Amino acid sequence: MNTIDPQNFQTISEASVSVEIETEDMTLNIGPQHPSTHGVLRLVAKVDGEKVYNVEPVLGYMHRGYEKLAEVRTYPQITTLVNRIDWVAGFSNEIPFIAGAERLMEIEVPERAKQIRLILTEMARICSHFVFNGAYALEVGALTPIFYAMEDRERVLDLIESVTGGRFHPNFNRIGGVKPAAGSGPTTKKNIQDLPAGFYRDTKIAMDKVIEAADKFQNLIGGNEVFHKRTKNIGVLSKETAEAYGVSGPILRASGVKSDLRTQTDYLPYDKFDFEIPIGQNGDCYDRWDVRTREMIESAKIVLQAIEDMPSGPLQAKVPKVIKVPAGRTYVRAENPKGEMGYYIVSEGGLGPYRLKVRTASFSNVSILPVMLEGALLPDLIAIMGSLDFVLGDVDR
Amino acid sequence: MEEFLNQIKEDFKDVSIEFETILIKVDVKNWLSSHETLRDKYDLKFFSWLSAIDWDNDVAVGDAPKEQVTPSFEIVSCLSSVDNSNLVTISTTISKDESSIPSLTSIYVGANWHEREAFEMFGIEFLGHPNLIKLYLPDGYEGNPMLKSFELISREVKPWPGDVDVESMPGDSTEENTE
Repeated sequence: MNTIDPQNFQTISEASVSVEIETEDMTLNIGPQHPSTHGVLRLVAKVDGEKVYNVEPVLGYMHRGYEKLAEVRTYPQITTLVNRIDWVAGFSNEIPFIAGAERLMEIEVPERAKQIRLILTEMARICSHFVFNGAYALEVGALTPIFYAMEDRERVLDLIESVTGGRFHPNFNRIGGVKPAAGSGPTTKKNIQDLPAGFYRDTKIAMDKVIEAADKFQNLIGGNEVFHKRTKNIGVLSKETAEAYGVSGPILRASGVKSDLRTQTDYLPYDKFDFEIPIGQNGDCYDRWDVRTREMIESAKIVLQAIEDMPSGPLQAKVPKVIKVPAGRTYVRAENPKGEMGYYIVSEGGLGPYRLKVRTASFSNVSILPVMLEGALLPDLIAIMGSLDFVLGDVDR
Repeated sequence: MEEFLNQIKEDFKDVSIEFETILIKVDVKNWLSSHETLRDKYDLKFFSWLSAIDWDNDVAVGDAPKEQVTPSFEIVSCLSSVDNSNLVTISTTISKDESSIPSLTSIYVGANWHEREAFEMFGIEFLGHPNLIKLYLPDGYEGNPMLKSFELISREVKPWPGDVDVESMPGDSTEENTE
């Protein structure tokens, strides 16, 4: 019978290797079909043992050519397209595009429509951060949070659906305002109702639950020592590198930059509400998670304030039946859940834009991967990649 | 924004503001130096994006410009600051015959992928780029899809996907549904 001699066992475990082993470099293909890549991103990693020394992301598996498609479509049709860029927060993709078209047409949007946009944008942000909280915990080895996250997100998605009729692709914005809500009764010209019955009540319940859920995540994920070990001081990103690569949103704020387009620009009336901009200190994976989780609470607070103080009035400004945008060019950017999203619209006065450049947050955020992963350990690769919270539709467009 | 605009005017001649967006037009030989000035002197350290516009009257898809234009590429880049709302777009024009421009990667490392995208989509050469290969398109792909002369095959098959009323539906009187 073979028994392990405790004496002998100890000597083996204490033995250390003092010789340099010649390891052969290996090329490791991660993706495109890998659950933690949030879609179809392929990484070609060159590894030396456990160390990653070169990573080349390969894109294009999700490239749908939206910029080309936009050239053959009218402005209202493009709203449908842009919903599908970042599908986790479909509603927020519409805002900068619509705001750009409205700016070129010089339309003043009614206050009430703006506030409905703002509420739904913040709800989309909450949904996106719910998905991140669940998925990121899963990636670093915690299975439980995603069930909570998905359940809690459902409540917010139901609200978005009750207003817009769509869960992921609302297609709710119209140039000059928003569309009358789904299920809001007869939509004849005299009797347009905007928000469905019971919306304020349900929103209040749901937002209280969101705050509760974010607190729960802070205990469940943030109080987990394994999570701390996996994320603290991992993938540290400095402010300077982030700026030069155009990294924006929660990732930039986690690196200690108080930059938020919600307060810096005026695409939606955020100045009416009190909220904080959470920032991190170290710029590591933990901070990126922490900033997003705290942002959920702030977003819920904004929504709670907004439903308390809803301006009355029409939902639509007067717009011509056939929408023609005058010649001109403008760039409108917005703070999306994943960072700065903007549309550069070049109009020649036609039914559609002559050129539409879509600036998406994830594209620039993912371009930092080769820098961040250089010298990282292979198990940290997933932790770093997940902390960037990208969606491939937002990278490839 | 007015204040910032006046500051920029010290260094750049052709500055305009249109629909709340500052546009600086520079000559292609000042392309790199103007970016350097904006980064160092005006603190625009955030590289937002870079792309191109294909100006041509001979278009395969979409609408052509109303007026006659000289066929050319316009390269547009966008810089901003993370600390305030300052934002500029810088544009330069290059001819289509010699479609090359110095790469911005030495000033903003983040320009790397944006230039690769413009390279494959428009066929513009970025001189001094460290790794000018295709970003999205597969290796064997021929052509530059974002060129105005590039045909959209689906449009050739079905000219107007939004137009569902090409054939009238049964029991559909045409007068009733048109407003």
